[in-house]
Amino acid sequence: MPTMKFYVGIWAGLVAATVMEVVTRSIPGAFAVVSVIILLISSGKAVTIAMYFQHLRYENKSLAILPIAAVIAVVILAVAAWMSM
Amino acid sequence: MSEQYEETEESKSTYAPFIIGAGLALLLFGLIVFIPLAIAGGAIVAAGLFLLFRDTVEEKFADLKETVGESWPAGFLSKRKLGVWVFIMSEILIFGSLIVGYIFVRFSSSSWPVATQVHNVTLGMTNTIILLTSSLAMVFALVSVRAGNMRGLKIGLIGTFALGVAFLTVKLGFEWPAYYRNGFTISSGLPGSTYFVLTGLHAAHVAGGLVAVGYLIARTYQGGFTKDNHAAVENIGLYWHFVDIVWMFLFPLFYLI
Repeated sequence: MPTMKFYVGIWAGLVAATVMEVVTRSIPGAFAVVSVIILLISSGKAVTIAMYFQHLRYENKSLAILPIAAVIAVVILAVAAWMSM
Repeated sequence: MSEQYEETEESKSTYAPFIIGAGLALLLFGLIVFIPLAIAGGAIVAAGLFLLFRDTVEEKFADLKETVGESWPAGFLSKRKLGVWVFIMSEILIFGSLIVGYIFVRFSSSSWPVATQVHNVTLGMTNTIILLTSSLAMVFALVSVRAGNMRGLKIGLIGTFALGVAFLTVKLGFEWPAYYRNGFTISSGLPGSTYFVLTGLHAAHVAGGLVAVGYLIARTYQGGFTKDNHAAVENIGLYWHFVDIVWMFLFPLFYLI
């Protein structure tokens, strides 16, 4: 298991990414482009929390199948909802 | 089977999971048809949790060993940890489908209020940092108990609990009342109903996490964890970090975009 110093570094990165999201919102630009950038940063934060705080990085790789399967199921739901519109 | 073995088995049985399940069913049914039923259901859930946590804090189940059987393809995981991950899978489906629903509603609507005109970005960002810090405190608790540092475990868990309470205080004590004063309510239209349903469900998960962390604190003070016996700290930590992950999406979707 990594040291506490390492985890504090991860936390600092996550806080910096949060500030970056807020700053990105105020940058002039197309709404869609700014939104996609913000959501990419959010996704990066979520993956970082899962990899390091939830220790997926240090677990057997097969464990990742569970959350990935759930995300795929959500995507299938989204596609099904989109097709039914 | 010896008499002594039967006695041991009986002493370790509990109705708590059944009581919690029945209470949850009544709570959800009551939310739909009759609020007093929901309150009764909530009381039954609380009683079931109290029984379960009391028995666990008193180490009633301490020497129960997992039976070794066929566990492919998850032989590398303990049953409890696998259970937590399957639970997290179900939570991803719940929040994922609601978020997808929100996105569809939003992009199907002809008009939608600008996020910063409705929501307080500063409070939202503050809550994001509070939740991230609570996750760090939970990691500190786990790192400490793995090193045999029980004082660090207590500090980490109490810090997690305090930051969780701070998150709910900001949300329920400052943000929501301000929205209601401004006419932005759960029944004021789709922007309001989607916001309050999603952030309300998330807040309920934070509150549930606080109950679980409270249990960890109580068990820590009873000397229930050691360097080699701390699976509950890790498993409840997994749930707490998941709640954190969900907020990483709710914050930008409602406050920034």
